[in-house]
Amino acid sequence: MEDFELLRYVTIGQYLPGESIVHRLDPRTKISVFLFLTLAVTFNRSYTGNAIMLAVTLGLVLLSGISLRYIVSGIKPALPFIMILSILQLLFYSEAYAPYGMTTQTLFQWGWIHVTNGSVQLVVVSLLRFVELLFLTSLLTNTTTLADLTHGIEAMLRPFSRVGLPAHELSLVATVALRFLPLLAEQLEIIMKAQASRGADIALRGRLRFVATARQAAVLIVPLFVDAFRRAEDLILAMQARCYVGGRGRTSYVRLRFARLDYIAYAAGLLFAAAMLVCRNRFPF
Amino acid sequence: MHFTYNPQSTSPIHALKGIDLDIYSGDYLAIIGHNGCGKSTLAKQCNALLRPTEGNVWVKGLNSRDMADTLAIRSAVGMVFQVPDNQIVATIVEEDVAFGPENLGVPEDELHERVEWALGVVSMQEHRHRQPHRLSAGQKQRVAIAGVMAMKPEVLVLDEATSMLDPEGRRDVLAAVRALNKEGVTVVAITHYMPEAVEGNRVVVMEEGRIVMEGTPRETFARVEELRALQLDVPQATELAYQLNHLDDTFPPDLLRVDEVVDAVQRRVALRRGAPATEAESQADKIGMADEEPNRGEPGARPDEPFIQVTDLHHSYLSGTPLAVTALRGVSLEIHRGEVVGIIGRTGSGKSTVVQHMNGLLRPREPGKVLVDGQDLTDPSVDVRRIRQKVGLAFQYPEQQLFERLVGDDIAFGPKKLGLARPERIERVRWAMEMVGLDFEAFKDRYTSSLSGGEMRKAALAGVLALQPEALILDESTSGLDPRSRKELLDRLLALHRQQGLTLVLVSASMEEVAGLVDRVYVMDEGRVVMSGTVREVFAQADRLRQVGLGVPQVTEVAYALIEQGIAVEDIPLTVAEGVETVWRILSS
Repeated sequence: MEDFELLRYVTIGQYLPGESIVHRLDPRTKISVFLFLTLAVTFNRSYTGNAIMLAVTLGLVLLSGISLRYIVSGIKPALPFIMILSILQLLFYSEAYAPYGMTTQTLFQWGWIHVTNGSVQLVVVSLLRFVELLFLTSLLTNTTTLADLTHGIEAMLRPFSRVGLPAHELSLVATVALRFLPLLAEQLEIIMKAQASRGADIALRGRLRFVATARQAAVLIVPLFVDAFRRAEDLILAMQARCYVGGRGRTSYVRLRFARLDYIAYAAGLLFAAAMLVCRNRFPF
Repeated sequence: MHFTYNPQSTSPIHALKGIDLDIYSGDYLAIIGHNGCGKSTLAKQCNALLRPTEGNVWVKGLNSRDMADTLAIRSAVGMVFQVPDNQIVATIVEEDVAFGPENLGVPEDELHERVEWALGVVSMQEHRHRQPHRLSAGQKQRVAIAGVMAMKPEVLVLDEATSMLDPEGRRDVLAAVRALNKEGVTVVAITHYMPEAVEGNRVVVMEEGRIVMEGTPRETFARVEELRALQLDVPQATELAYQLNHLDDTFPPDLLRVDEVVDAVQRRVALRRGAPATEAESQADKIGMADEEPNRGEPGARPDEPFIQVTDLHHSYLSGTPLAVTALRGVSLEIHRGEVVGIIGRTGSGKSTVVQHMNGLLRPREPGKVLVDGQDLTDPSVDVRRIRQKVGLAFQYPEQQLFERLVGDDIAFGPKKLGLARPERIERVRWAMEMVGLDFEAFKDRYTSSLSGGEMRKAALAGVLALQPEALILDESTSGLDPRSRKELLDRLLALHRQQGLTLVLVSASMEEVAGLVDRVYVMDEGRVVMSGTVREVFAQADRLRQVGLGVPQVTEVAYALIEQGIAVEDIPLTVAEGVETVWRILSS
């Protein structure tokens, strides 16, 4: 029934309006804190460290008022891959991975299958990290409009334009891409519906469905690209008609401003991430 | 001024052939002509998006050939394009409006003032923080106009800017344009929607790259015969007056708007009141108007079981997520075999969602029920591909429905999926192409991307017809076409309906478009069916139609205005021919 609702399963990147503290922060603050916390997650491989990170990111999600169920529903399409990855890690990483804060112990052995407390830790920590990163990404993108995100990134890159980085152009590229994304999704949906209306089988079953899916993707992608190019041509004309000649001499309608809340959030994020990085090898287990 | 596309290539296209045209400050100039006559090319010359290959274009004394003046010209002449989505750059309404002035380097304080002002001009202030893709087409087009106006141009060029809008959106956009013209902005409107051409003080008619007529709307539209020879429409009100003038040459032939016709009729009625009514009936009979009442579906032959039956259908998009949108709130309707039914409603009323249930693209959920040819689509074991073969669905834009490289292959897509053998497939393709008026031999090996807009639509329709469906649903498949191509396409489908008993469902945002074609209509608003019945029954409720954002044809409006003036009108006319008859009865009684 939901064969055609392509946006349903994409929970990352979907702005959900709200009034929470997280929503109100300057995009630069959010992007920075997001980067700090991502670093902290990436470099912590202990149970304790990840438990703390999980608690903190969960706390932030609750603070933002975004439905936890909505965020978690985004994992659904990735679930089979995560399962396979976890099993592979559990079975084959036992030698390669020394557990953090523990001596290696074999928990289970049967033929060539060999599970140690190291591989168990690897699986659990990987899953925790995955959830933490999902929380962080959702937190950033669900509370910030894409427009604000690009303004934030443009503002953060602007200092580098002196060394030749085209900050404005990059941000315009991002803006246009984001502007066209929902249009293309809509377009894809219509193309799929048009094909289904003419007898194409969209909900594929059977053993060779990978082949059929790939072949079907080809018939979808061509009209999608033709459409995208047509739109792009139209857009170029429209931009020329509105006197666009590049970034030079342009003024900017949007001005980002740091409020007190931003300084506090920025400092807190930075300090916390630094602490987590410094302590990453000092947790007991 | 001449203009040729690809002058160096082997097949140059001479699009403009000697145009001489002056546009004065404060003008409201309408340019009409059908697809491919060069009107859009001419419009793009006005702001140096294209430059003449021969002759000159001067804007405020600047020559468009002079590259150095390009920006000065483009900031003086703003342009709004046909497809609303493809001209909005930013992801937030107000930021898009600011895009133009940002490019001009307008300082920050003034930027905010200009955005505020421009959004006010098109009444879009309350939507300033919204994302463009969540707006209706009419709203998007108003944002596009605001984006141009924020550059404070002296001229506003509208390149078929209303052709993809529903009547309500069109009305709002025209109101904004009219207000701007009153404030002194020069307007150049390219259109094939005739009531819009009447708005201005000048009309230019183009044909094959030349200007063939020029004058005030009154002068131009009085030349009904010449316009007809060019296969262009005139506004219904004008047509009505023109035909009445033929019956009685004292009736003014050059009326443009509904209120003018109403005035003229009323004045005559007031004059004649008290005079003896002579041979009124015989006069009316002498006109011998053919009864254009659609009378195709034989009511007696209708089986009791509807072909498609929709009962209490509800639907939400993205249900169960924070972004859920309710599209249908309990819709019930039925379509019988051999009928021509219209489903009308403004954008977002749920009409597309309903028809997508009819061929199993969307599945009904409890308590809703959709029965197609006796099969219950709620049942998951129903083979939807069989249903889709019975109920063909064609969408709005043909580009979205052509997905093979060659026309023949594309049309054969459906039959191939049905598992037909090759000779039979070819036969189907040939038949379907003949049905829509594409020559099999000439078109089967053409690239789909090389077709013109009208041919693409025909090919797309042929692709659906090749399934030999029992019912064909057209989801706004004719909007955006010029009147001539649209009529041609619909005539072919109606012929198919008459010859083979094809059931037709026409989905549209405009009552006028379906008025003379369908047996019955369902009017939808906000996910519900709010009116249903014969076209006549529904048009009898003009006020309610207006409430749900729909209009009635101009002749019908004339009749209602006359009733309001206390003049008795027996039959509410739906077409010009009926209108002439009705008004003539009034005038001669």
